[in-house]
Amino acid sequence: MTGLFSNEPIPTDQLPQLADNAFVPVDPRYLRVSLVGLALTAAVITTGTVALATQSNWSLLVLLTGSAALVLLLLVAVLRVFEIRRLAYQLREHDLSLRSGVISHRVESLPFSRVQHVNIHRGPIERSLGLATLQVSTAGPNISIPGLSRADAEQIKLLVTERADAVVDNDPSLPMPRRPPTG
Amino acid sequence: MIDLSVPQRQSPLAIVFLGLRILRSLGIAQIVVVVLFILRAPFNGALSVLPFVIIVFFSGFSALAWWRYTFQVLDDELVVTKGILRVVCLNVPIERIQSIVIEQQLLHRLTGLVKVAVDTAGSNEAEFSIDAVTRPVAEELQRRAVTAVPIPVKIGGALPPPVLAPDRVVFTHDGRRLLAMALTMWPLAGLLVLGPLLAFGSDLFNQLPDVGLGDQPFRWWWVPVGIAGFIVFSIVLNITRVFLQDWELSLRASATSLQRTSGLLSKTSTASNVNRIQMVTSTQNPLQRRAGLRGIELATVGQRNLSVDGCDDAQFTTVLSLAAVTPIGEMFLSRRIHPAAIWLAVRNTAVACALLTGPLFWLVGWWSLLVLSSIPLVWATTRLNVSNFRWGLGQQLASASHVFSWRTEQALLHKTNAITVTQSIFERRRGLGRVQLSTASGVISIGMIPIEEAHAARDTILHAVETDTRPWI
Repeated sequence: MTGLFSNEPIPTDQLPQLADNAFVPVDPRYLRVSLVGLALTAAVITTGTVALATQSNWSLLVLLTGSAALVLLLLVAVLRVFEIRRLAYQLREHDLSLRSGVISHRVESLPFSRVQHVNIHRGPIERSLGLATLQVSTAGPNISIPGLSRADAEQIKLLVTERADAVVDNDPSLPMPRRPPTG
Repeated sequence: MIDLSVPQRQSPLAIVFLGLRILRSLGIAQIVVVVLFILRAPFNGALSVLPFVIIVFFSGFSALAWWRYTFQVLDDELVVTKGILRVVCLNVPIERIQSIVIEQQLLHRLTGLVKVAVDTAGSNEAEFSIDAVTRPVAEELQRRAVTAVPIPVKIGGALPPPVLAPDRVVFTHDGRRLLAMALTMWPLAGLLVLGPLLAFGSDLFNQLPDVGLGDQPFRWWWVPVGIAGFIVFSIVLNITRVFLQDWELSLRASATSLQRTSGLLSKTSTASNVNRIQMVTSTQNPLQRRAGLRGIELATVGQRNLSVDGCDDAQFTTVLSLAAVTPIGEMFLSRRIHPAAIWLAVRNTAVACALLTGPLFWLVGWWSLLVLSSIPLVWATTRLNVSNFRWGLGQQLASASHVFSWRTEQALLHKTNAITVTQSIFERRRGLGRVQLSTASGVISIGMIPIEEAHAARDTILHAVETDTRPWI
């Protein structure tokens, strides 16, 4: 090792690949967090529709519009169920990946060495269920992993910051913390 | 040699700029209320001095703000202290400054001073600006920032120290080149200058002199004459704009930095460290291609990109090599996108047309069927794009496309901040996908490629990010 930078070509089949079966799904309780938000929206739409309908002598147009909005919300809720089933993350030695999307599948990978900061967000519903959202920011795009248990979120946050520091401190051999448990 | 370790104060002219800034921070509505209050209110007796008190107080406040505003460079940090009641001390590590823009507005030119805007990657706007300083102070600050070497990622040993070369002028555009630049832009580009006038709406048209056209019957030749008049007017505006903005456009380079300077009335100088360049984009419309010119944009982290228009092929190659990006050749860009992209575009357009035609039929009758003409248009342009689009992956991800204009995009792999692979339903059924490389300033997205290629590209890019020791920012 001369210490100088070298960049020899490597066949792509010899590169470490992002295995599809190594993704860790988010906590299934996150579905409740997501559906509570939709339920609140549905309650607002129903109240608004009833209020408007009584004012307009039960106008058919108002009732149809309100019903269409509720049906649309129901479709969103069904889609959300499938979305959360697919939502999963994968931690490797050097990067973090997030799998998401039902209609359009999406896998976003973010190298630890490019992480600028990590923070944990916990809304009131998430707090009541013991969940948290991890937000990992780079100088470009950011990744948000919702539906993590608080302990997992803290642990991944620690891992990401340690790994990011390890790259700068010339210590890429930092041991990996245990993989967060599923569910 | 300017000693920036000693606290520096701006020129007293900065009082005017600080005053204007404080005025702007009040908000338009508040300013209007104050002005109307001063002009309209019936001041009698002792109250008649109130407008003068307000003006004196405002001037005093601005002068105090100028006195309290100091800046210095201490231990490789730019330290700015400002504020009257609430003192703010801003410490910016010099190596984190993304770009320093030296600008000379008309008032500056009359007094021989310049404005310095300092930008880090922390926000979308310049972090702060120093309104009026002498040029040597500004240039010393710019020199310190662009020659600051970022801490490299140290995987696999130490890097050799950077070699600092003296500044040199890479090229300067003369008047002839500027004229060619202006004439080869899109004919109606000059009308963009008039955009702000739209805010006046119909009031503006009511102010125009009535030439009596409304009283005469419509003549067919009004249309071509009107269009030609518009184009000529736009070209004249464009030439004026280019000469004002890009007069003596020059690019200077050292081993670590690039600096772009231009302007006739207001001279602007933008400098950035080469390491902070994230992406290189070049565009060339058919007129520019005929003239052998092209526009180059070097996307840097932070607020200002370095864009240089009107470059010939030799200048393009030089700029690329200065930005440490290798020029992309035909051999490198050998990969193509799947022809299914044509069917997808046509299908989406057909669905949109079908949805639009119904409601439009009630509004404009059979004319609504004209919407359907967009289907063959989309088919032709997408077909052209599919046959001309090329991309390649080596030490950089690069793409070249051509429908009406030629466009190339290049990003070195180690500049990657995130890499995304997506698959829509359409793409999943055909085993296709999209790979998207996101840098700190811009994105390269290649869609409609075999999903195996997208996965391989992702693995290669992630591998490059982890093994390439060159600084990325």
